[in-house]
Amino acid sequence: MTDTADLEALRREVRSFLAAEAPTGWRDASRTQDDFVRTQRDWFGKLVRAGYAIPHWPAEYPGGGRSLAEQKVIYEELAGADCPRLLLSFVSTYHAFATLHECGNAEQKARYLPKILEGETWCQGFSEPGAGSDLAAIKTRAELKGDVYVINGQKVWSTMAQFADKCLLLARTSSDGVKQAGITYLLMDMKAPGVTVRPIHQIQGDEEFAEIFLDNVEIPVSERVGEEGKGWAVAQATLASERGLTLMELSYRMRGALGRVAKLIREHGHEEDRGVLRDFGTLVTQVDAVCAIADQFLDNRINGIERMGDASIVKNAYSRALRAYSALGLRLGGMDEQYVAPITFGDLNTGNWMADFMNSYAWTIAGGSEEVQRNIIAERMLDMPREPKGWVL
Amino acid sequence: MGAVIELNELTDAAQKAFPADKLSPSRDESWQLAAEMGWLMVRLPEEDGGLGFTREASTALHLEMGRVLAAMPLIPAQLGLQAVIASEDFAERADWLERLAGGEYAPLPMLSAKLTQGSDGSISGTISGVFEADMAVAVVAQLPGGYALVPLDAPGVSLVERPIWDPSRRLFDVVLESYTPTLMLTDASGAKALHDRLSGEAQLALAADCIGAAGAALDMTIEYMKVRRQFDRPIALFQALKHRAADMKTRIVVAEALLWKRVRDESASVTELAAAKVLAAEAFRFVTEEMVQLHGGIGLTDEHPCHLFLKRALLNLQLCGNADLWNERVGREALA
Ligand SMILES: Cc1cc2nc3c(=O)[nH]c(=O)nc-3n(C[C@H](O)[C@H](O)[C@H](O)COP(=O)(O)OP(=O)(O)OC[C@H]3O[C@@H](n4cnc5c(N)ncnc54)[C@H](O)[C@@H]3O)c2cc1C
Repeated sequence: MTDTADLEALRREVRSFLAAEAPTGWRDASRTQDDFVRTQRDWFGKLVRAGYAIPHWPAEYPGGGRSLAEQKVIYEELAGADCPRLLLSFVSTYHAFATLHECGNAEQKARYLPKILEGETWCQGFSEPGAGSDLAAIKTRAELKGDVYVINGQKVWSTMAQFADKCLLLARTSSDGVKQAGITYLLMDMKAPGVTVRPIHQIQGDEEFAEIFLDNVEIPVSERVGEEGKGWAVAQATLASERGLTLMELSYRMRGALGRVAKLIREHGHEEDRGVLRDFGTLVTQVDAVCAIADQFLDNRINGIERMGDASIVKNAYSRALRAYSALGLRLGGMDEQYVAPITFGDLNTGNWMADFMNSYAWTIAGGSEEVQRNIIAERMLDMPREPKGWVL
Repeated sequence: MGAVIELNELTDAAQKAFPADKLSPSRDESWQLAAEMGWLMVRLPEEDGGLGFTREASTALHLEMGRVLAAMPLIPAQLGLQAVIASEDFAERADWLERLAGGEYAPLPMLSAKLTQGSDGSISGTISGVFEADMAVAVVAQLPGGYALVPLDAPGVSLVERPIWDPSRRLFDVVLESYTPTLMLTDASGAKALHDRLSGEAQLALAADCIGAAGAALDMTIEYMKVRRQFDRPIALFQALKHRAADMKTRIVVAEALLWKRVRDESASVTELAAAKVLAAEAFRFVTEEMVQLHGGIGLTDEHPCHLFLKRALLNLQLCGNADLWNERVGREALA
């Protein structure tokens, strides 16, 4: 554990860096996809150079080797300064890193991890049309021919696949036995022949994720992580890579964004409307409580006393609060919100209430849906009878 | 670390003395036990002969007492004691502290009073929300001229029981008729500071009661869902019901996280402490409403404890300001 004085010193250091370097006006500079990508790459580069981009990596990487308590400080400050979240590099620095670090061989680590710091981006190719919550039902096939796997199939909902250089791919090498058993984990080059990416146009007007069509794509055997047929266990490392920081960061960002609702209340002259004030007050307390539970969750992790199901509680509490936040903004905004207004790529609390509201569904659906999280809470915390296995083991 | 151990010891002792399977244990025996275990003095400073524990300790105790739907009035007693502790200028302070720590009961009312002052300075009207006043020697009341201890045997003071739905507690009005106060704790100017201090404490105590009781209600409901069989399976197998159980758990855990955060935040305002109570009381209400529904018909019977939880939740929601009042205030302050 890092002691308080060190943490406060780190906090001051991050704060003074942010005072000088934190991007301002990035929302306006993220109105189109190209601008968004540019903003993201710039900011990631700056954070890498300053040593704050990958605090969770081992110390051998510059900026790595930070304790969870230190990571928390960094994320608190990034949220407090309202910096852009690192979305484009998220899968790379968390999912790809954790997968390679925990399950990759020495050669794979040496080849890929340094490149991530240079800006190489990864996407996650897990979900398929027939395999969402029931991830193990994937059908994309990988057939070993000589020293390559030949891949045929389709992936869907792959976040920012259209900008990605590499892909964490789950494919089926066998259909025998339980469906988890025949899955193999591969590292795919997105520029390989046979890979076609088609961005998916989303309801809030942007294209955050994409479909990936795989037509006789060849992946060398050396790009396999772990053994053939043991990909399910590797996938668990991928999915467990994020340790609560994102939800803590997002909760504090939502807290900061309550000012947007306050602004709306003033603009619409609701300052003395007791019903509106009550609804706003209820939201404020809900968001405060989400910050409290996200903090508690991280503190428990730092102290090694996390309980089964805790993460599910934090996720459901956050995603419901995000929905309540955007729904209140939408309601107070009234008809104004029904006129199309510019969106900001990659932000959840933009003040474009229709976009924010629709975006809030990402959090009740992705990464283990709200219902799947409820199953986990009921089964792991309350010891109720089990459902079939899903995203999270 | 020391504080954590103290807290755990207190919780363990409470769970031993008040086992979870014995709901609403006898008021008078509980009171006796609480006095013997020193619980009446947990917040009394060491220099006044008490244990000098922080508000984390009293929160932990109230949480455990909520779990068993305690009939004894530990919350109003603790608040009454705090009023006297805070009243440095009160001439009989030491004497009263000794009496209260020794088991005499002088509660703080949990509802507001309607009082008027006559031209002779005497006071008439009703002080509502006095729990278990039949065992009290005095009540701590905010009078027009400041806070006072009002002895219940003084001339012009009478008690009226106001029957409530919640069978786990008893509630009284204290009626004053041309009563002249003699035991002033503060003057009019000191009343505001004491009021804020006591309100904040009251909110935390009630929030803790709600969280403890809601946890017990959930435990009982889950137990029942595992043993109750319909359609040849335990009803706990129905996913629609599992999801409701998961939401109950989520509401409790989240409200509890906010409670502890605010307990530990010495700079939290009364409104912020009240927000923690509102969230806890709403979670408690939600959990008990679900509890009745998930028990089916048996949940509507008087002999089954479901209704004890539901009724305590609904009463707790009304004490020390309801959800509408505080939510509005939170909103107003966040707007400012
Ligand atoms: C914004 C976003 C980004 C994403 N990014 C990626 C990515 O980068 N890579 C990737 O591989 N995938 C990604 N996904 C996919 C995501 O993981 C899936 O959407 C998710 O697992 C749900 O699967 P589904 O959409 O097929 O819904 P389904 O699984 O078909 O669910 C439909 C409904 O049924 C419910 N349901 C399903 N199973 C159960 C059950 N056992 N009990 C009760 N209810 C159940 C669900 O909760 C939901 O309400 C992303 C999704 C979103 C929304």
